[in-house]
Amino acid sequence: MSKRKLARLLQTPAVLLLLVWMLVPLSMTLYFSFIRYVLNNLRRPEWTTPALSNWRGFGNYEFVLDAKDFWFAVQNSLFIVGSILFLTVTLGVLIAILINRAFPGRGIVRVLLISPFFVMPAVNAVLWINMILDPVLGLQGIAIGGINDLITLLKDAPLVGWFFSLWPTLEPISFRATQTSAYAVIIMVTWQWTPFAVLIFMTSLQSEDQQQKEAAVLDGAGAWSQFRFLTLPHLGRPIAIVVMIQAIFHLSLYAEIEIVSRGNGNKNLPYLIGEFANNNIGAASATGIFAVILANIVAIFLLRMIGKTLMD
Amino acid sequence: MAIVAETNRFSKTSRTVLAWLVGLLFFFPIFWMILTSFKTDAVAVKPEFLFSFTPTLDNYINMTENYDYWRFAANSVITSVFATIFTLVVGIPSAYAMAFNPSRRTKDVLMWMLSTKMLPAAAVLYPMTFLTKNFLGIFDTHFLLILVLSLINLPIVVWMLFTYFKEIPREIIEAGKMDGVSTWGEVREILIPLAWGGIASTALLCFIFCWNEAYWTVRLTTTEAATLSKLIEGNRAPEGLFFGRLSAVSAAAVGPIIVLGWFCQKQLVQGLTFGAVK
Repeated sequence: MSKRKLARLLQTPAVLLLLVWMLVPLSMTLYFSFIRYVLNNLRRPEWTTPALSNWRGFGNYEFVLDAKDFWFAVQNSLFIVGSILFLTVTLGVLIAILINRAFPGRGIVRVLLISPFFVMPAVNAVLWINMILDPVLGLQGIAIGGINDLITLLKDAPLVGWFFSLWPTLEPISFRATQTSAYAVIIMVTWQWTPFAVLIFMTSLQSEDQQQKEAAVLDGAGAWSQFRFLTLPHLGRPIAIVVMIQAIFHLSLYAEIEIVSRGNGNKNLPYLIGEFANNNIGAASATGIFAVILANIVAIFLLRMIGKTLMD
Repeated sequence: MAIVAETNRFSKTSRTVLAWLVGLLFFFPIFWMILTSFKTDAVAVKPEFLFSFTPTLDNYINMTENYDYWRFAANSVITSVFATIFTLVVGIPSAYAMAFNPSRRTKDVLMWMLSTKMLPAAAVLYPMTFLTKNFLGIFDTHFLLILVLSLINLPIVVWMLFTYFKEIPREIIEAGKMDGVSTWGEVREILIPLAWGGIASTALLCFIFCWNEAYWTVRLTTTEAATLSKLIEGNRAPEGLFFGRLSAVSAAAVGPIIVLGWFCQKQLVQGLTFGAVK
């Protein structure tokens, strides 16, 4: 057997499996998206079984585009992914620079920092929304209650009392409303993925050219211009990787959205599909096709940008 | 010069303090979860018992007695282990062929594999449920979960292995060929020993992703094959009156993985960057 043939043979199982995994559900989704298919309909029972005779053409697509939630879900998906990317990269760079140089206990700090990355998404969401962000029982509520009590106490104090009597009573934020629960999702995912960014940036910083840096110092370069003209360009490639991997994971964010915002209106595209799928499989499938298109736009954009540098 | 040294010492101290603060801040939610797991549900929501309370193991006992924790944990272990093995069995030959016998299309194949990860799972959930329930009859089985977990992790695994294999100098392989080593011998005698670290960290990451997966594991199971993700989903008491219980279940679900992650964080980072960061 020639080398080439053997190589192809060795790749076949992986390629074939992924092809089936991609094509079978996708073609079924495509098919369902063009027919009327609902799980429950007493007046039109024929719609509850998938059949070509229920052909609807682009009807499901029109229905989805007209649904008021659709554009909101698209926007919200992009908003959530964009915010997480921005926050994790910014925080990641800052923290990586902070812990790049040796200090007492660096190994322990590293271990503490990486831990959130291993927490399963369901636990992450349950932990944050209940025990930390809850406006009454969570740490947020407890902290704000404590501050308010302190201010009330200080209002009666001599000398400084007038100052504190100007302060308003603080209100805890509820993270269960439509907009705020999107923030809650951003906070918890940022907490989970910043460590990942930090570790990758740190690995990259270790290989930064120190001689170049010393030369820059001798030339009178300040800390800012060192960062701007040496460190940041050096981090270009790792930033690209962090963005790509996170985009892959966060475009299909689901568990966090579901746990944080069940039914309060905060949704991304995958969640909207889930909602439709409770009854209207046709609409859910059409939304699925839109989600595939959106993912492809992002994928083409990212993979083009990053693919080249990865293969060299 | 003395002034410089002085400011340096100051900045070093403040940097150390700041770095520790950041580390503790990031770890705090996990610490909080573990701490709360030793409180009773009633004590857990009282501000006056934030740090001073009588620790109790009730939540953990309750968890194993009433929630059947060990069954869920066993399912998590079984599906994650076998999915990891299966992914490696399929992924290693493929990555090997791509790294040592690349063709013009290798790059496209790799990119295509990665792009399958971008398909929104929700888009194909219904067809998957339909197929596995009505046609194949494998809904809520270990087999299905192992298969699905393998498939969603296969692209990442092939990529990671590919980058590890590419690092191996081709001269070594060539030299082996000169000595008349067969292809299988090449794999067993040269490749596996050299790529062992890479394979191990790939396996580990795959295992972690399988363990943490929360979309398919929740939706393709009911009772038989339900994993820890499903247990958490079932326990997310909406109005959080059961913080103690919730924390115990959560801590028991993520504990093993966090500890595992600590031991191999360095290899993980290397693997996850697809070799692009050294």
